[in-house]
Amino acid sequence: MMLYLKQFTDKYNKLLFLLLFVFILAIPFLPGINDYLMHILILIILYIILALGLNIVTGFTGLLNLGYVGFYGIGAYTSGLLTSKFAMLDSWHSLFGNFMVVLIIAVINGALWGIILGAPTLKLTGDYFAIVTFGFSELVILIITNEIWLTNGPMGIPGILPPAIGAYVFIGKKPFYYTILFLLFAVFHLVYYLQKSHIGRAWFAIREDEIAAESMGINIIKYKIYAFALSAAIGAMAGAFFARWMMFIEPKMFQFWESIIILCMIVMGGMGSIKGTIIGAIILTSMGEILREILIQTGLPIESRHLIYGIIMVLIMRFRPEGLWPAGRTKGELKPETAHILEYEEESYFEKREK
Amino acid sequence: MEQFIADLKNGMFIQQLINGFTLGGLYALIAIGYTMVYGIIELINFAHGEIYMFGAFFTFVLIKNFNLSLAAAALISILSCILLGIIIDYVAYRPLRHSPRLTVLISAIGVSLFLQNLALIIWGGRIVHFPEESLPSFFSGSAINIMEINISWLQVLIIIITLAIMLALNLLVTKTRLGKAMRAVAQDKTTASLMGINPDRIINFTFAIGSALGGLSGIMVGLYYNAIFPTMGYMVGIKAFSAAVLGGIGSLPGAMLGGILLGVAEVLGAGYISSSYRNGIAYAIMILIIIFRPSGLLGKKIIKKV
Repeated sequence: MMLYLKQFTDKYNKLLFLLLFVFILAIPFLPGINDYLMHILILIILYIILALGLNIVTGFTGLLNLGYVGFYGIGAYTSGLLTSKFAMLDSWHSLFGNFMVVLIIAVINGALWGIILGAPTLKLTGDYFAIVTFGFSELVILIITNEIWLTNGPMGIPGILPPAIGAYVFIGKKPFYYTILFLLFAVFHLVYYLQKSHIGRAWFAIREDEIAAESMGINIIKYKIYAFALSAAIGAMAGAFFARWMMFIEPKMFQFWESIIILCMIVMGGMGSIKGTIIGAIILTSMGEILREILIQTGLPIESRHLIYGIIMVLIMRFRPEGLWPAGRTKGELKPETAHILEYEEESYFEKREK
Repeated sequence: MEQFIADLKNGMFIQQLINGFTLGGLYALIAIGYTMVYGIIELINFAHGEIYMFGAFFTFVLIKNFNLSLAAAALISILSCILLGIIIDYVAYRPLRHSPRLTVLISAIGVSLFLQNLALIIWGGRIVHFPEESLPSFFSGSAINIMEINISWLQVLIIIITLAIMLALNLLVTKTRLGKAMRAVAQDKTTASLMGINPDRIINFTFAIGSALGGLSGIMVGLYYNAIFPTMGYMVGIKAFSAAVLGGIGSLPGAMLGGILLGVAEVLGAGYISSSYRNGIAYAIMILIIIFRPSGLLGKKIIKKV
């Protein structure tokens, strides 16, 4: 039965994807979809983008980044500050009122900080790198909270203009949904093709064995900086969207645990697996929202839902470190006992090709 | 700057220094837990900060709900912390002994997240205080009072306990058979087990000592600031880890030196540079040390092997 199903999906792969795509585009017009569900959908897509960005560093290149939310915050504050300081009300046509301009500046700023943090730290390995990125994101939060003249401190930045195209101002959920869908589309394709390119192979080589990769002539630092800058840029992009969507940002939104939740998504789905990352983000974001509702009703603090993320991380690492939907390549690496399965898979892959 | 000179004259500076020394001693006690575990199984035990937090909460519950005396409550909570540490190792770290380091680290973060939110669910997010009457009255009384300098008995007690523990621990590691076994396991587990040492037992023992010190410092910090809350462990945990890195991770005297330097730097930085960046000072020191001198002040250089 499963085999037939698999043959079916293989045969009509393109058609299925097309159907899925049409379905996703049509979601806002389906009956029973209210503003609350749209809000959650946008949130899910936002987290998919964030998780795909973190996956580049942690999944593809094998560097544990605990400060990813720092770049998200940098993007959000770049976009929020530019819009609220330079684009006055009713001036969507001004330079910084334009969403694309702000988005691009935020992306560049994010990538820049990625390089500034990455250049000196990427020579570190494993846990030291993790802890430095953690320190970085904590410093970002501290600066955002304390430089009140610039960021308005803990009060946050209210009243950030939403984006607009011509005279059409983004109001309601639909325009934001399509915007973030477009961003996801762009990020997905970028990540998907990069993973298959020589850059992606270099990342995998670094993850699997840094010293071996170096002796094969891969410029480790260069490729690590590519990964780090790209990942930071994607995080900043998500932040830029977030600021213009929520129209309000505050330091509390970019706390350390946010990084860990995003990490938990890719850990659950499978580090280095694009499919797994997406599924992980969908499951955990929806679960987080459901838990939020439950916790509000039981009167417990909302933050206590993070407990579940902790359990998931421990259980996944204990029983299935390659994640629930792993990429074939990582399976063997994280779980030495299954290395032979990997070999077998690759063999069959080559056989299929020769025919 | 003027403030600084004025403080030098009236002795406030020395007061700050002693406050920093007290705080630093506490950091050092927690840092020892990090450094010992890291030295033996090369893992940043993220849950260590949570053990520290649980130490304070256990004492609070025992005093408040069971009406125990402070000493008895402290003793029981230290024992519970030891148990907690060993359970954490057993559940989350031991099955992953031969996995990539990233895997164990993620597991450690998971444990930390779990414990912190467990505390949040049990005790709520609000700051709790030890009941006034449970604390011996001489704690807040001043032991030394010269000019502007005022050192409380609690501070003296913290400094004495910290120094005594450091001395004892140093003797344990350098002079006893157990310490020798610990050093052997840290160097090479396989060879150590060939020499008749049971590495698992030694690792258990390391977790026990680390957790006991973590719990103890949690209790002392709880008494010092008289404020206990679920997120207290995560911030202090990272600071103590910074202290361990500063002194050179894996080195006991390094953890002590790092802790004290960090405590003094934090208090002086908060006093003379900017109080709102109090926590930032520790992070900045940690980042700079990791980038420019990852082996720390007293640590050995680590060579990456193929």
